[in-house]
Amino acid sequence: MATQENNDDRIALLQGTLDLLILKTLVLGPCHGQGVARLIQRQSEDVFLVDHGSLYVALQRLEDKEWIRAKWGVSDNNRKARFYSLTPKGREQLVEKTSEWRRLTRAMGLILDSGNERQGEEA
Amino acid sequence: MFRRKRSAEDFAEEIKAHLELEADALESEGLSEGEARWKARREFGNIRAAQERFYMKGRWVWLDKLWRDLRFGFRSLRQSPGFAATAILTLALGIGANTAVFSVMNAVLLKSLPVADPDRVVYLRTTNPPHGTGTVNSTETFSYPVYDAFRRQARGLSSVMAYVPLSGSKVSVRYGPQPEEAEGDMVSGTFFSGLGVNLPHGRGFTEQDETNHAPIAVLSYNYWTRRFARDPDVLGKTLYVNSVPMTIVGIAAEGFEGVEGGGSTDFWIPMQSRPELNAWGNPLEDGKTYIANPTWWCLRMIGRLAPGVTRAQAGAQLQPVFQTAAYVGLGSPPKDIKPPVLSFADAKGFAGNDEVYGKPLRMLMAMVGLVLLIALMNVVMLLLARNATRQREFSLRQALGAGRGELLRQLLTESLILVAAGGAVAWGFAVLATRLLGRWAEIESSLAPDKTVLLFTLAVLVFAALLFGVAPLRIALAGRAELALKTSAATSNANAGKSRTGRVIVALQMALCVVLLVGGGLLIRTLRNLENTPLGMKVDGLVVFGVKPNIPSIPEGVAFYVNLMNKLRVLPGVESVTVMAERIGSWWSDNSDMMVDGRLPDVANGASRTVRSNMVGPNFFRTLGVPIIAGRDFADSDTATSPHVGIVNEEFAKRFLPNQNPLGHTTGLDNGQYTMTIVGVVKNHKYRSIDEEPIPMAWYMYAQLPIVGSMDVEMRVHGKPLAILPSARKAVQQLDPNLPLIRPMTQRAQFDMTISHQVLFARLAGFFGVLAVVLVATGLYGTLAYRVNMRTAEIGVRMAVGAGRGQVVWMILKDSLLLTVAGVVMGVPLAMLVGRALASSLYGVKPLDAASYLLAVVGVAVVALAASALPAGRAASIDPMKALRTE
Repeated sequence: MATQENNDDRIALLQGTLDLLILKTLVLGPCHGQGVARLIQRQSEDVFLVDHGSLYVALQRLEDKEWIRAKWGVSDNNRKARFYSLTPKGREQLVEKTSEWRRLTRAMGLILDSGNERQGEEA
Repeated sequence: MFRRKRSAEDFAEEIKAHLELEADALESEGLSEGEARWKARREFGNIRAAQERFYMKGRWVWLDKLWRDLRFGFRSLRQSPGFAATAILTLALGIGANTAVFSVMNAVLLKSLPVADPDRVVYLRTTNPPHGTGTVNSTETFSYPVYDAFRRQARGLSSVMAYVPLSGSKVSVRYGPQPEEAEGDMVSGTFFSGLGVNLPHGRGFTEQDETNHAPIAVLSYNYWTRRFARDPDVLGKTLYVNSVPMTIVGIAAEGFEGVEGGGSTDFWIPMQSRPELNAWGNPLEDGKTYIANPTWWCLRMIGRLAPGVTRAQAGAQLQPVFQTAAYVGLGSPPKDIKPPVLSFADAKGFAGNDEVYGKPLRMLMAMVGLVLLIALMNVVMLLLARNATRQREFSLRQALGAGRGELLRQLLTESLILVAAGGAVAWGFAVLATRLLGRWAEIESSLAPDKTVLLFTLAVLVFAALLFGVAPLRIALAGRAELALKTSAATSNANAGKSRTGRVIVALQMALCVVLLVGGGLLIRTLRNLENTPLGMKVDGLVVFGVKPNIPSIPEGVAFYVNLMNKLRVLPGVESVTVMAERIGSWWSDNSDMMVDGRLPDVANGASRTVRSNMVGPNFFRTLGVPIIAGRDFADSDTATSPHVGIVNEEFAKRFLPNQNPLGHTTGLDNGQYTMTIVGVVKNHKYRSIDEEPIPMAWYMYAQLPIVGSMDVEMRVHGKPLAILPSARKAVQQLDPNLPLIRPMTQRAQFDMTISHQVLFARLAGFFGVLAVVLVATGLYGTLAYRVNMRTAEIGVRMAVGAGRGQVVWMILKDSLLLTVAGVVMGVPLAMLVGRALASSLYGVKPLDAASYLLAVVGVAVVALAASALPAGRAASIDPMKALRTE
């Protein structure tokens, strides 16, 4: 039952980041799973690899937490699809997670940059 | 988590939609239709995995897994029903025996009294009371003046409760027209309030009731249920106690059956002061009841410590009061003698229980502990064997990707199933066993397993479950994944066949088995000795019952018994009839030093001067069938006005009148009272109990002493002894319709009661010994059969290269003989320790009784050989070709 590793050059998503990306994508309006995957990939300039299986499990998880809700509908090209949209709770979470992520990246940046400086001084 | 809004189908539908959308998108980017579909699918990755993750996420995963493991466990156990049944039964026996014995121990020794705040309640105890007093129990009973002093100045105690039985056994009561018998106590007014026992119906007693000797009674809940079917209307009705009317005023709380263990009190009345209701049902001494007689120490006492006072403080505060009160009626205390010392005992377990049941129960607990150990080892071995044969299964499962955690969980689940099933059966077994135990041991207080017992059992079960889950894991994990690829039976099972753990366990089991067999053997030989002890009388054909008539005066009392004997003698089938003050074979006896020829006799080697005496009627020895060596039996012609005569036994004559003809000498109490001339010498025979040693004894003719009270009638009859009882009852009730026959039974049954504890103990010990042997035998058989199985290929090879059948059999037998020797070498020293611990429970057997040890060793050896014979035979009949082909 172990899942296999993905051997791809693209960066696998960090734990927990997928949720944030989904929420961010849905701010623009309701969207189905395939659309979410495409949007993330495109907006990250194809850096992020979205494992489709994980995406659907993540969507289900967010739905269970009531951060998003879902409804079957019809897509632009007349296909049946399940559309997801943000709930008010999801919006709050988006704000919170975004600031959390900003703080995290800032801290990471500080540490990584300071390391470089010191190396430079020594050299 | 309980709601699963989405079905798996819906999720699958969404994935399908995704693939279509993705294919559309790819097509619009220029791929062909087929290529687009294929790429969409590939991009998605593992669809099944996603679906599985969805499935897992939606539920209580561990419960789901547990459920799967349980089903798997059941299935795999069903595949080997023999194993499952053996394991469950073994567990049930081991755990059930422990639960049963523990629940008896809990009820009898550990449980607190069912009173409010039992930790503050204490039994009052003393060292030996002053000289010149009579006691019922030399450390547990007190005189009325002592109680009275404590009641008036209860320093350190917030209340003092006195209680005393109305009879040594049961007392006659009457509610309707028919007389019956019941157990009743006289108690102080503070009894219920001081103990904090509730009375859900009616009221308890007050100190006023005690002072007025109010004629009222409180029934125990048990008696109310048993006799009155919980009729609330009994309140206000009259209960005649020894013909004295008492109004029922209350029912005590459920579960409260008095403060003495073993028996259960049926009713309580306030302390009375009248001859019919003297303490212990004794006749008056010099016309004085227990209240007026300061030298009769007959009251039991229990107290509640005052708040904030420790036991030691209360003892110190009461000691001076006690010392003064102890000498009331005895003059000033002598200087050179240590005064009696007051102490307190826990109101835990019941007073006196520890003496009677404590040691045997602890020994039994140890025995069943060993049985449990053997049982657990058995199951572990069974599991080891079973899992070793499953090694390929485990290897295969590991090879297929199962983690160690999964295997462990699987094994734990299987052991959980076994333990749960075993535990359930064990509980049923224990409930049944305690009921039987209670009946055999004649413990009337409730022995039913309670919460403490349940906890104990659960603890054992959890321990067992963990043990069974973890022990076999080692073997399961030892088989690594690559093992599955090896197909040779000989190589893949070789290690398991030689498992050293199995050998050590078998040897240990043998050792424990030796210990249990020696213990059981010693006790059963004790039992045989007790049962075959000659009583010194013809006990068959004797029937005995008590009567407690109203005796206004001594001559009237004697007349009652003369009348009664005359009536009984003429009943058809009756050979002879006599009476006695103390029923023989009931533990009771009068003990005192006696004068011989007007002075205390000289005794050789500092032997005791104590004489056991009894007051008996005419034809006493003829009725019992005790041979008279010299002189004569008592006769009807020995009356109050004729010369006072007595009879002694051989031991009396030998110790106090050596080398003389005892006839014609006189003997009597050490205070000069009741002197009588010896007119007969009888052979030694048993008086109090079967296991007593010969002791000097003397008999008074009851009609010649100024004491007459309740007596026991002994009748020798033809045919079935108990068949005479209805006509005997009629004869008694012709004299007084209020009199029931008290404790009617055969004399044989009465004597048997004196060894009932030993009998029970020995039977149980024997039973557990046999149980241990059976368990060891099955364990050994299982292990050996399994080992032979593992070595099938090896044996085949050996036989193919020329080993004979005999050699193969010997190879197998040698193995188990070696284990037996190891077990015996370990077991015998252990058994010697156990034998020493048992010493005080033995009768007529030495703790190092060679025969018991030999039997135990032979028994273990026979079991070992028998258990190995079958596998050995099977090994010898292996067809070498077939064995080699199992590869």
